[in-house]
Amino acid sequence: MEGFAQNLVNAMLLGGTLALVALGFSIVWGVLNIINLMHGVFVMLGAYVTYSAFTYLGIDPFLSIPFSMLIIFGLGYLLQRYLINLVIRAPLLVTFLLTFGLEMVFVNVALLIWKGDFRSVTTGYSGVGLVLGAVKIPYIRLAGIAISFLLALLLHLFMTYTKTGNAIRSVGMDLDAARLMGVSIAPTYAVTYAIGAALAAAAGSLISMTFPIYPNMVGSWTLRAFVIVVLGGLGSIPAVLLGAFAFALVEVFGGSYLPGLKDAIAFAVLVLVLVVRPSGIAGKAFYK
Amino acid sequence: MSEQPPAPLPREKKVPVQVTRFDKVLGQRRNLIYIVVGALVLVVLLALPPLGVSGFWLRTITQAYVLAIMAIGWNFIGGYTGYAAFGNVAFFGLSAYVTGILMKKVGVPFLPSLLTGALFAAAFAVLIGLAVLRLKGHYFAIATLGVAEATREIIADDLGFLLKIPGDLLGLIGLDKAAESLHAAAEKVAITDGPRGIVLPFFQPPFQIGDLTKVQIEAWFFYYLTLSLVILGILGTWWLIRTKLGYSLVAIREDEDSAKMLGINTTWAKVTAFALAAFMAGLAGGINAYWKTFVLPEEVFRIGHTLEMILSTILGGPGTVLGPALGAGIFTLVSSLLIFKLKLGGFHVMITGLFIVIVIVFTPKGVGEFLTGKKPLALSSLLENIRRYRV
Repeated sequence: MEGFAQNLVNAMLLGGTLALVALGFSIVWGVLNIINLMHGVFVMLGAYVTYSAFTYLGIDPFLSIPFSMLIIFGLGYLLQRYLINLVIRAPLLVTFLLTFGLEMVFVNVALLIWKGDFRSVTTGYSGVGLVLGAVKIPYIRLAGIAISFLLALLLHLFMTYTKTGNAIRSVGMDLDAARLMGVSIAPTYAVTYAIGAALAAAAGSLISMTFPIYPNMVGSWTLRAFVIVVLGGLGSIPAVLLGAFAFALVEVFGGSYLPGLKDAIAFAVLVLVLVVRPSGIAGKAFYK
Repeated sequence: MSEQPPAPLPREKKVPVQVTRFDKVLGQRRNLIYIVVGALVLVVLLALPPLGVSGFWLRTITQAYVLAIMAIGWNFIGGYTGYAAFGNVAFFGLSAYVTGILMKKVGVPFLPSLLTGALFAAAFAVLIGLAVLRLKGHYFAIATLGVAEATREIIADDLGFLLKIPGDLLGLIGLDKAAESLHAAAEKVAITDGPRGIVLPFFQPPFQIGDLTKVQIEAWFFYYLTLSLVILGILGTWWLIRTKLGYSLVAIREDEDSAKMLGINTTWAKVTAFALAAFMAGLAGGINAYWKTFVLPEEVFRIGHTLEMILSTILGGPGTVLGPALGAGIFTLVSSLLIFKLKLGGFHVMITGLFIVIVIVFTPKGVGEFLTGKKPLALSSLLENIRRYRV
């Protein structure tokens, strides 16, 4: 059990990563109205891209973040445009099952390619950090939270000031009205999904530097993304950030008290929120 | 004038509506043909072991029966009630553990252990269900998924925290001695043996049959046990949908608010369906534990089990009597062929996943619809789902 201050700092740092993971999930849920159970797959793939780039090409992990984002963006676009779009207006459970099936496929492929061992990316500066009294703050995690905020800011700017961003928001508000305004739905859906995937990949790259990665980590991250979005409320970027930090606090403090029950804690939070306040802390609104 | 009563109308013969080419081929005696074929299949299945079928096939078919039992259970809550539960593997695993613990540590024989395990799973379902069945649609699905994952972690952690938390609470209020003893107990308790799992005692044939080896008697035992449970499950489903509970469940699926207005106690009905699903999954779990002779948290709480039972039900036709068993049979057959004949062992999970993707996109109501004639056997039926729900 670590000290209270260290736990607090860990929670803050973790919150940044969690926010990045949950942001993509929240966009996809808000705009496409599908619960993307494949989200963890993109996190995992982003992590493995960074790992492979570092191990086989010697590329610094921070530099590989744009590449992992780009690759996973393309993958997400293709998946959405040519597979998920086929059944996207079906009841929610259909896409639920579809993305679940796809998740199984990808996890199996990852297991075959990279095997089930734990891997991680350790660079020369991995262990270095600020030391303030009893509290250690690794530089990597500090950079991670900075990148998370940067990406969240970029996302907000993209959504507000670009044509595609506005198209995405309009589709989230009212699908038919957007169509009447001339927005092409299929590519817009695909771009939205791809953005969600890219954000997840960025998070994955950051995760590969601080946590061990293995193909079966997928479920854990999808569950956490779901809990955070439910906790914070579907709708706006600040809501996701709020939910992420709140959840990080619970996870770090709960995890240091009861190690090995991480998913159980996440689930307990979920049930609590759903029973007490289903719309989350910040409430459900159309995607801002 | 003689008044004659009007001549009675000639009795009209009931002709089933012939919608599809399939119907036309089978003609007016379609239902009769189905019954005859079904009876033949049953006779063949009953006679398989004495016919000297190879051990591989007996095991594969028994595996299919186990999956069918789980799928029949899932059908109650997912197919008939419309609440797609994603966490039924929790019941499978809990029953497996209870069966294993009773047999290994307490020495209870198999059938009572199995029954206790299944009942334990059903009781757990009632407890969880009262909380979770209030949620709708995807929230319910994720909540049940969370239950399954949480159960896995708790079992793998060997329930230690159940003693640790009261211990810490007692320590806070100053009852240190009691807290100490609770903590010590938490360290020493070994109910589920954590991640190491439990090894069950081997099957001992109670009596001898002809000149079969022990292994063969074991195979026969599990084959007939699971087959009889599948038959009982199908008969049970058939009976259930003709009771008030069955109609209540369908009413809940179609429109829950109207069902409530009609005076149906929806909570009780949903919890019962959930408990039935848990019972069936529990039976499958206990049998699986004894059959495979070991239980491990990652194996018995594997999420693939839930996906397989959902896939089987959807493939065969959710909300039908024979659908789950049919889907289980098709799925097990295809995946066994792919894995063992084509040697694609490492792809088992991927095959399941691809199956799900294909079934969801092309036949979301299962293949049962083609057999009952509701859908013509043409390519357009397969594409109908896409046409209806694409962007």
